[in-house]
Parts: sequence; structure tokens; C-alpha cells
Amino acid sequence: MPIFDFLKRTDGKTPKVIVLGSGALSIGQAGEFDYSGAQALKALEEEGIQTVLINPNIATIQTDTTDKRKTYLYPVKAHWVEKIIKEEKPDGILAGFGGQTGLNCVLELDEQGILEKYNVKNLGTCIDSLRMTEDRQLFADAMKSIDMPIPPSSAVTNVNEALKAAKQIGYPLIIRAAYALGGLGSGFANSDDELTKIVKAALNFSPQVLLEKSLEGWEEIEYEVMRDVEGNVITICNMENIDPLGVHTGDSIVIAPSQTLTDNEFQTLRNASIKIVNRINILGECNVQFALDPNSNRFYVIEVNARLSRSSALASKATGYPIAYIAAKLVSGYNLMELYNPVTGKTKAFFEPAMDYVVIKIPRWDLRKFSGASRKLGSSMKSVGEVMAIGRNFAETLQKAVRMASENAIGLSITTRFKNSTVDELISEVQYPTDERLLALVECFRRKIDIERLHNVCKIDKWFLKKIEEIVGIENEIIQTFEALIKKVNVSADRELYNILEDMLFLISKETWLHWKKNGFSDRQILTLILRNLPELDEIKAKSNDEKYLQKLFFLVRRIRIKNNIKPVVKKIDTTAAEYPTPSNYLYTTYEGTSSDTVPFDAGKNPVIILGSGAYRIGSSVEFDWCGVKCTDYLKNNNTQTIVINCNPETVSTDYSNSDKLYFEEITTERVLDIYDFENPKGIINSMGGQLPNVLTETIAMGGVKLLGHSAETIDLAENREKFSALLDKIGVDQPRWRNIKTKKELDDFITEVGFPILVRPSFVLSGTAMKVANTPEALREYMDRATSISPEHPVVISEFLQDYREIELDGVAHNGNILITFMTEHLENAGIHSGDATLIYPPQKLYIETARKVKQAGTLIAKELKLNGPFNIQFLAASNKIKVIECNARASRSFPFISKVTGINLAEISAKVFLAGLTGDEKLNPPAFDEYNLACVGVKAPMFSFARLDGADPILGVEMSSTGEVGCLGNNFEEALLLSLEATNVKVPKKGVLISSGRLHEKIKILDCVEILEKLNIPLYATEGTAKFLDEHGHKVQALGWPEEKDKTTVIDVIREGKVDFVINVPKNLEKQEMQHGAEIRKNAIKHGMSLITTAEMATAFLRALENYDDFIANHKPVLLPIQRNT
Amino acid sequence: MQVSMKRKAVLTLSNGSWLEGKLIGAPLVSSGELVFTTAMVGYNETLSDPSFFGQILIFSYPLIGNYGVPPMSGMDTVPGLESDKIHASAVIMTQDSVTAYHWNTITTVDEWLKQHGVPGIIGIDTRELIHKVRDSNKLLGIITPENSEGSRILHPKLSDFNHSNFFDPSTYEVTPLVSTPTKKIIGKGKTRIGLIDCGVKWNIIRNLLRMECEIELLPSDTDLSKIDCQGWVISNGPGDPQNTGDLKSKIFKLYKETRPILGICMGNQIMGLAAGATTERLIHGHRGHNQPVYMFGTNKAFMTSQNHGYVVSKQTLPEEWKPWFINVNDGSIEGIAHIEKPFWGVQFHPEAAGGPCDTRWIFDDFIKAVQRGQK
Repeated sequence: MPIFDFLKRTDGKTPKVIVLGSGALSIGQAGEFDYSGAQALKALEEEGIQTVLINPNIATIQTDTTDKRKTYLYPVKAHWVEKIIKEEKPDGILAGFGGQTGLNCVLELDEQGILEKYNVKNLGTCIDSLRMTEDRQLFADAMKSIDMPIPPSSAVTNVNEALKAAKQIGYPLIIRAAYALGGLGSGFANSDDELTKIVKAALNFSPQVLLEKSLEGWEEIEYEVMRDVEGNVITICNMENIDPLGVHTGDSIVIAPSQTLTDNEFQTLRNASIKIVNRINILGECNVQFALDPNSNRFYVIEVNARLSRSSALASKATGYPIAYIAAKLVSGYNLMELYNPVTGKTKAFFEPAMDYVVIKIPRWDLRKFSGASRKLGSSMKSVGEVMAIGRNFAETLQKAVRMASENAIGLSITTRFKNSTVDELISEVQYPTDERLLALVECFRRKIDIERLHNVCKIDKWFLKKIEEIVGIENEIIQTFEALIKKVNVSADRELYNILEDMLFLISKETWLHWKKNGFSDRQILTLILRNLPELDEIKAKSNDEKYLQKLFFLVRRIRIKNNIKPVVKKIDTTAAEYPTPSNYLYTTYEGTSSDTVPFDAGKNPVIILGSGAYRIGSSVEFDWCGVKCTDYLKNNNTQTIVINCNPETVSTDYSNSDKLYFEEITTERVLDIYDFENPKGIINSMGGQLPNVLTETIAMGGVKLLGHSAETIDLAENREKFSALLDKIGVDQPRWRNIKTKKELDDFITEVGFPILVRPSFVLSGTAMKVANTPEALREYMDRATSISPEHPVVISEFLQDYREIELDGVAHNGNILITFMTEHLENAGIHSGDATLIYPPQKLYIETARKVKQAGTLIAKELKLNGPFNIQFLAASNKIKVIECNARASRSFPFISKVTGINLAEISAKVFLAGLTGDEKLNPPAFDEYNLACVGVKAPMFSFARLDGADPILGVEMSSTGEVGCLGNNFEEALLLSLEATNVKVPKKGVLISSGRLHEKIKILDCVEILEKLNIPLYATEGTAKFLDEHGHKVQALGWPEEKDKTTVIDVIREGKVDFVINVPKNLEKQEMQHGAEIRKNAIKHGMSLITTAEMATAFLRALENYDDFIANHKPVLLPIQRNT
Repeated sequence: MQVSMKRKAVLTLSNGSWLEGKLIGAPLVSSGELVFTTAMVGYNETLSDPSFFGQILIFSYPLIGNYGVPPMSGMDTVPGLESDKIHASAVIMTQDSVTAYHWNTITTVDEWLKQHGVPGIIGIDTRELIHKVRDSNKLLGIITPENSEGSRILHPKLSDFNHSNFFDPSTYEVTPLVSTPTKKIIGKGKTRIGLIDCGVKWNIIRNLLRMECEIELLPSDTDLSKIDCQGWVISNGPGDPQNTGDLKSKIFKLYKETRPILGICMGNQIMGLAAGATTERLIHGHRGHNQPVYMFGTNKAFMTSQNHGYVVSKQTLPEEWKPWFINVNDGSIEGIAHIEKPFWGVQFHPEAAGGPCDTRWIFDDFIKAVQRGQK
């Protein structure tokens, strides 16, 4: 075997390698590391290496214990890694597949001499080289030694040094914190004042800050490079940021391969990449970023990442070349010529993929979910996920990407977002980019603003601008076509809209259809353009304006298109641009072609489509990829041919080796039906990918697909509030009072009945449409005025908002209305916090058996009545042994991986069995045996927040979810698991001081307990006046502080700024605006200064109680191994 | 939009099938051998590469022409073009960019094709067509625009060729058609190189100039015995290497001396033939920027730019020669070297343009060898 000698043990034992994961998903470090880590683990395990994974991210695919892999759900921090090294005695450690977290950890392990002490070899690029890429000065020196130009810069450690350096380099400057991921703590400065502000903030995250000449407006190009032990180098892919330098690459729209570079430019930068990786002595994978002058050949090297990255995951998916897998083989000793390109199976890995298509990545931002967050894009990343579209021309690919990135988008051109903006406003939107720059550009082209003018303000390459302009041009053509057609058909008022439309659509030539579809226009987009732009239809339209009718029209467009034989073809991604025949199963669809590269599976082989979860977003993340992948695994191994559809390059499910066929495609009704029609499978699974595929249920069912699992009726019953509520009444299960409000009077009546606070949400709950809690009539009026107007067409759902209730979730799988298995989890926080932001505990620690009985009983009744047939989740409120149902999701839930891993019972696999039973007609499935009182450990799942990146966002928890990821840790008791999970989400143990503020009386009482613990720990305490007074009355001396506006006193902000405290407990009394604003300053400042922040009394008490035995825990805890999952 | 306004054009294939697309470039009938390149950049370098003479070039990459075409640069200045005209018979691509943007662009691909009297087809399924080319031993094609205005003139000497017949470049001795008609001295320097022009790419000249050589550019039928130089370069070029007249016997004579020789692509094949080996046609040629080779007997591998349909047969290489480079994927010979004398041939393009420049050191090493001989 060509692996390194140190990985070949002479004592007959299996060689062992520790693999570091990247922890919770957060902005700047997301699912891509589940993909790269999973590939690395596979590559090493194939070599007979025992892997030991350290990663607290329980929702990932990689964190499973198997016969080849031990998984420790621990914070990726040096002291825990050392404990596990002591326990496991590994031969090597692999850090480059766990993002910046993994890299920082291995550097620290090396610094502390831990690797040397336990004789653990670092696999891949050596530590000195890693330092060279991380330390700006070492990096600058290295680049200088090979004549590679880098932007003039200076590394500083304080503000004075920064000001001095700025004089030398000159403004504008970009400021970056060293050793930080995703541009954390960075920004642009044009003056001494701005510089001072940013440097001060950056120094909170990093001891070293880099100032650099700003190259805003230059083209940003990246190369993904691989290098083996022989020094052989290849570049896998180059990628061009459509947004020029100035927008973080994670927030940029990216296209691959580059579109605007000449061969000379392409090769110049490729040569530079190779020279750089040789100089740095990379072993494995490396990412190099360049700035290229748009007006000459000049370039600068911007950054080198000597590890797998977001870009490497994108490049892998873009080209089909499995970078992480091959990189893991390279770091274990292989050279590139000893390895095969897995896509072709016969050509070697020493190869640069050729693409005969383009890919476009669009980030997914959820900035509207964060109250107060700035939407401006800059050098610090803000997006929470991304999508990748594949097509054979720019328009098709961009429009696909736009649809993938947002569940509400039906194409690029359809936007009305900036319809009412002035030209000046538009130009400003284009010049100072936000998450909506693309939409602003569309509106600019509608107004015929010319490319030169736009280019001058945004610097986006004119070629891209031209291509966007062309899409708007085709939008116009479509409108004009129908403006002409409507004159040819009978539009008398007594006719149905359906029939008029049908008449017009019949008159469209095949060539025209093809032209529109080639340019990426969706059926729904064409339909919307017709309905929106023909005044002749206004009157007729008014009669038939509901969603159901629109669906009917959508199917009309589809039917006539297909009648014209306008269907997309299916093409392969084969890494060779068709040069060699390949068995590749990696597919996409396009209208730019006349024949398909693949044929459908035999019906006898049980082909089944599994829908993925799309872009990672707030509320739907890696946990649903886990569900999809585990379900696919099971089906694949049980006589089924699996066909996965997904469009998220950060996922494991879009690794083509995980399914029999992978369609990297839109999860929209149109595309799912296109693929369904082509593949003609036995059925489709849409309950494993979260809400995105779930909402397609009704339309794809209308399109004639066979759903495996829950029926469309079941899903409708669960999703439709009115129907579900009636059902609960029927079976006698209680629920919070609620009403679908259509008139002002109904609203007043309801308020009179239930009082405040109440929860308000528009009935069409779409992403970005905020739910709100109103405590007073004023707050309610304000919300109603701003967000919506009540009418029979636009009803608003209002329900009583119950505080001081506990929240319990029931997750499980049912078969034909009978429950196969369920698990109860308990929220640490009281009700009122979105379940995605709550801390979950399994098994529950404080649940009355009687409450548990009632929850289980209600679950059984609901399953029976809804005829649940697959995975489900029901959320309950509980108080004094009374329970109320909040909602039921007839799909897999966010908690599935957590519960499956803690209990060892794989819920995704059991769900797969139910789906399979739907194929085979099996009537009876055996419920798995499980004893919930016989568990070796306690699990705690905790949310991860990324507020530090979201300028202006109020880091408060509420009914809208705001966490970007989660961890799940195991302990010998609840306290251990809690401490671990909080450490893994960067909540630090207080050392310098604690600031306590606010809370209602009974919460203050709760906190009293904690104060005693903190006093025992000798930690100085500070409190806002009210709280200080309360504590004083109860015999605790704390320093009272003024509110931010009380300038004559020492204020809460002062102690935060001065670093006198490092831990902030801020519990708002209620969710009223005034109260929120009061606390927001404290919370924002705490986050800005890198402090730990807790905003609920329940968490504060639980954490501080757990701290009582902290020292003993740290000293004596023996790491708990995640148990292996049983076969169900 | 632009597609529907364009005239139609039909591609007729020698296997009897045909495809319809839209015309770009000149409205002329043109025929040739269908070949494809998988390169994603460098369409201007590729189209101006004389090695594509008589071939209909299919771009597998779908978006061509984004950055336009640079001004005519001349053989001794910046890269961008590899000769003063388009040599391919015709081009086939998915989409051409109607507008082009780059600081160094003067025209679009469409205009450029028109200027050079070259037709092209867009809007056909290039991937499907490439499957056909890949799976057939040889595929010839004729492009016929709707209302064509005449025939493409491949070369003044071929002006009476009727393009309604399939043009097969391998049945012609095409080297003289692309070689320089007269000798030319290029550059000034101490190292004198005789460059035998079989259709030389300008970047070979640029690389020699970079090494401060004085180049004597020679027509392919030059009497080499009368040339005063310290080293020889035999260039790339189109056609079947066996159809190159008496060039191989002229090279055979050079083997009796010790002046260093470097053959590139066609040059490598002619060196092989002169050494007594035979050449054969590859089932599918190597054309692209991602062709991997390794140095024979080592683990050292290089990414190369390639454009060849013929190869020196491995088993026919005489004893005094050895393989220098081997193709990583199909094991074919990618370079030969004499076991004692300073004679080297490479099947790939160390001059790149387009493609990776990872083997540019071959020029450096060769010129150093020439200079050593000088001392």
C-alpha cells in the first residue's frame, strides 16, 4: 500500500487517525465541512485506518460511530482533543478538513507541544506551512521570496500602529483579523476614524490585525489546487466572482469556470497558484485567491487557504472531481498518478476537469430574519447557505440559481422588488451592494439604464451585466408576444381565463417556446408575465385569483409546452467534457441540447426519487441532509435505485457516490415533474428534506406523482391550521386558542376573549414573513399597519401566546396511522422561543410521567386521525400536567439526527422502511425495541448563533428562529452535556465578571440561585439598577450600573467596553419594543466585544448550576464515545 | 432574439446524418475533418493555430467569444493569436457571445470569422455531436449555410476544391500550405536556431525569443544542409505526419550530427518517423488543455496542452531512442528522446497558448543544451 510508513503499524494494530470536524454550522463555516470531512473519513477508512472523529455537530452525516470510526461529540478545542488523544493514542491527526476551527485547533495543539508529547503526526501540509498561510507577515515574506505580488499591507497589534501603517499604505484600506474565519471582524476604512473603530473591534477577535490596500472593484478569481508528495500539481477549477472585490467571496455570486479571462490571464493566475503551493509546500488541497486588474494584466495574491474550504466544496460539485476524497488520499501518502478519477473510473486523478457547462453559485441570505441587521454586503460574510445551478448557457444557469436560492422566486426577471424605487435609489443599490443587488440590476435594465453607467458604479464585468440585460430583454419579448396574441383571441368577459390563456399558448411556435426555455424562463414565470402585463385580462382575472386556480393555469402552460415537445434534456457531468465515455451518474437538465446522456432505470429495480433540502437557511440545515442521506443509504441497500434531487453544493447528499443517480437541480414543481416524467420512478419521497420539498406536496401530487410516505391529504391536514385545529377538537386534544381573522371585528372579539400577549402571523407563512408577539393593543396595531391588512383574501392567524409553559416535542415514525416509535424531548427554555433556537434535552430531565403519558397518548391519537405514514414531529406546551398541541409536522424534523444518535435508533432508517413498505405493499412493520430508561448518557442539543457577523442585529431569542447551526453533546449527566454543548457553541465560562440585567420578578428569583454560585466562584458581579436593587434586598452585593443613556454614571456599556465583564446575562421582561430597545444595546455590545451572552433565565440558572462542579469536570471527565447505532 | 434572426446552417456528416443550427461568421460552404477541443479558454489561440488546418473545430465548452478577439499582435509580441489567420475550416459551438468585453479586444468572434471567410454553426447540441466524433474513427463534415454566398477558400492552392465534397486533410500534403513561403530571420541573439516551419505557432517563436535566440524560420522544404544554426526546432503543424514529403529523410540526415533538435507535436512525429518508428492515428485525438503526461521512468507528472490526432507507435521506437513522456491516461507516447544525442521530441505543446505552461522549462533546457554545444 502506498500509504506513509507512520500509518503502517508494525505491531499488527490498526493505524489510527484523529479527524477534526468544524463544529456547529455558523456563518462562514457551514455544511461544506460535513462534505469534506465525510469524504476524508471514507478515503482513510478505505485504507484500513481507524478514524476517530472529534466534532460536536450531531446533525452531520460524518458524526456516526461505525466499526471503522469512533465519534466523539466534543468541542474542537485543544484541551478536549488532548484528552481524547490520551484515551485513543492515535498515530496521526487530520485537521485540514474541519475548516478554520480544525486548523486553529491543530496549530494550538502544536504550540502547546501536545502533538509532540503524544507522538501524533499531523497529516497533510506541515504546521510551519500552515502558519505561513495564517500569519500575514510570514505569508508576505513567502510571497516576496517568489516574486508574487501582494497588496501593500501591514500587520499591527494596536490602534497606534494601525494609524501609522495607514499613513504609509494610504486609504482606502481593508482591515482583517488574523486567524479568523469568513472575514470576521473585518471592514473597509477611508479615514483614521473609521480605521480606529474597526481595528478596535477586530482586536477583540484576534491579537493581530492586518491592514491592506483596498482593491475594491478588481476582479476576484480563485483557484483550487492539489499537490502530492512528489510535488505534482494540478488546478481543479478556477472560479470567477461576479461581484468584484469588496464583497466577501462567500457573499459573492460565483461562476465557474471563469468567463471573462483570456487564456493568458487564466494561465498567468494558474501559474501563480502553482508557484505558491510549491513555495508553501502544500500537501493535499489549497485554495488561492487573486485580485485581477480589470484594465491590465496586473494581479495581486489575496489569500491562501491551506485546507479544504467552501470554495473547494463548490469546485468539487462544479467539476465532479472529489477534491476532499483525493486530498485525503494524498495526505496519507498516495501520489496523483496512483489514484483514479472516480467519475471516469479509468482515467487518473492527475487530471484537470474540463467542463462543458457553466455553474453559478448564489448565496442564501436570511438577513430579514434578524431584527435590525444591516443588509449591506462587504468584507465580512453574512450568507447562511448557498446553491449551485448548472446549465449550458448563462441565462439558463442564472435563472435556475435564482429559483434555487429562494423558495419564492420563480425566475430572475419576475422581481417587482424595486418597482417603486427612483433611478437614484437603484443606482445606489447597485453601487452599495446588499443581498438584493441582482434584483436592483434587473430593475435598472427595465428602465434602460445603460451598462456603462452601471459598470462605473458597481464594477461588475460588462459581460455579466450584458447577460443580465439580455434576460430582461427576453422578459420584454415574452410580454410583447402576448400583447400581440391577446389581440388575436376572444377575450369576452364571460370566458374563463383558462380558455383564453389556452388559446394564446396554442399560437406560440415551437421555436419561441424553446427560445424562452433555453433562456431559463420557468413555466410559472411565463404565466406570471402574462397575468401581470395584460390589462385586457384584469377583469377576468379578478374572478379567478386564488392559488388553486393559478395552479390550474400552471399545469395548462406545462401541458401545452410538453405538447410542443419542449422538454429539458438530461446531461452528465463527467469531468472530461465528453472526451471519454463515463459511467457517471451525476446529472443536470438543460434546454440547450437535443439528446439525453442517460436512460431511466428499469421499473423492476424500484427507482425512487428523494428530494433534498435545498439551500441551507435559517430553519433548514444539515440535519435534513442527514435525514435524506440516511434514508437514501437504507433504500440503496434494499433493492431500490435511488435518485436524489438537490441543489446545495455544501451537502453530502449531492456527493454523487451516495445515490444511484444525482440530479443537481432545482427543487421546484416544474423541475421535479420534468425529472419524474423522464425517470418514471415508482415514487417520490418528499418528507426527509425539511419544509422546502414538503410544500411541493400539493402541486407535485396534482402533477400525478406517487408520494411515498404521508399522503397529500395527510400533509394538507397537518399544514392547514383550520383543518388541523378541527381535527384536534374532534379527538379531544387541547391547543392554544387561535383564530383565522378576516375582519377587524373578529380581531377585537378574539382579543376580548383571550387578552394579551398574542402571536400574530400571516396565514401564508413564507420565509421572511415574520411572526410577531404583541403584548399591547398598540403593538398589535403597529404590526397590522406595517405588515398586512386584514381581509377575507388575506386572513391573519392570531393565537394566544402562552408564557411560562414548558415545551415538549414528540418525534417519531408512524406506519399507516400506527406509531412505530416516538421519542420525547424537552426544551430547556420555556415556551416562546422558536424550537430551532431552544436547547433540547434527551432524555427529558424534568418531565412528570403523567405529562409524558398525555403527550404520548395525544401523539397516538393524532397519528391515527391524520393517518400519518412516515416521519413526524409534534410540538406541545405543558404546564401542571396539562398539554396543548402547537403544531404537527408530517415530515422528518430538525431533531431526527440528535435523537437517532443519542438513542441509537435511526429514525431516518425507520422512515425509509415505511417508504419501502409503500412500494412493496408490506402491511406490517415491527417497531424497534427500545427502553428509554436504560440509556448510558444524557444528550443536550444547543443552538449556535452567528450574531457577531450580523451588524446591527439584536441577539435576542424569540418566535422567529435565528440560530445558524447546532451541536449535540453527550454527558454522564445533564450538567456535563450542557457544559460541553455550550462550550461547543462558544459560550465561555465567566472569569472576569458577570453583568446581570432585567427579567421579570420570578426570573429574578430564579437568578438568585446563580448569584450565590457566582459569589462562591469569586466572580465580580455587575447589574442594572433594578436588578441590583433586587439582589441587594436579598443580601447580595453587586455593583449597580446605569443604562447606556445615563451619561453621568458608569454604564453597562462601559463595563463591557472596558472588558470588566466577560459574561452577560440579559433577560428581557417581555418582547415589547421599548423593553427590547433598552436591552438591545447591552446585547449588541456584548456580542461585538466577543462576550458570552445568555438571554433566558432557564439557561442562566442551568448553566451556572452546572458550573458548580466545573473544575472537577474539566479535570476528571473521561470522554464519552457516541454509541454505535443499532440496526433497526 | 439573436438566434432567430440568424440564417440557418446545416452540418452534413460523412456518416450520412445531418444537424441544423444557426450560422455565424461567413456565409460560405466549408468542409473538413470534425475534431473537438475540451479547452475552456483560448478560443482565439486555438482558431488561429495552423494545426487545425482543414478541420472543423467543435468547442465542447458552450460559451465562446466572451472576451472577444485581441488586435493582431505579431509573432514576436504578446500572446493572444498564434498566426495571422484562422486555419480551421469551420467552427461549431453552442453559443457565441454577441458582445465582447475586454480591455484588449477589438472585435467579436462572429466578426473575426467573417473577416477571415470562415463559417460557423451555433445552437446545436455540441455534446451530442462530440459523442459521435468520439465514437467514430473519423468523421468528416460539410457546413452549408442557407443562401450560401460561395465556398470557403482554405488556401489559394486549394481554391478549386469543391466544398460540397468532404475535405479530408490527411489525404493532402498540407504542410507546404501552412509553412512560411520564404526564409525569415526573427530576433537577434547569440544562439541561432533553425526553425523548420510545418505550421508553427507563434508562441514557439516567442519562447525562443524569450531565451534570446536568433531564429531562422524555414519553409518545410528547405535544404537543411545549407543552414547555419546551432540547434533545430521542428514545429507543430496539421496533417498526417506520413504525408510530409521528404522532410523525415532530411531530419534523418541531421541525426548523424550532434546539433540539438527539439520537435514539437508534428515535429515529434517526424522525428519518430526519421528515427525509424511509425506513427498511427489515435482512436480519438488528444485536444484540450488538460492532458496529463508523466516523465518516463519517474513519478513526475505534468499538465499539458495538446492537439494531435497521430502518435508515434510505442512498439516501433528503435533501440537508440526511448520514450520521454507518456500519456497518463492511455499510455501513448507523448515525447521521445535519443539515448545519447541531444534530440528530443514532445507530442504536447510546451509553448501552450492556450493551455497550461507547466512544461515551458523544455525550451529553457533545450536552449541551454544548444548553448553548451556552442561552448
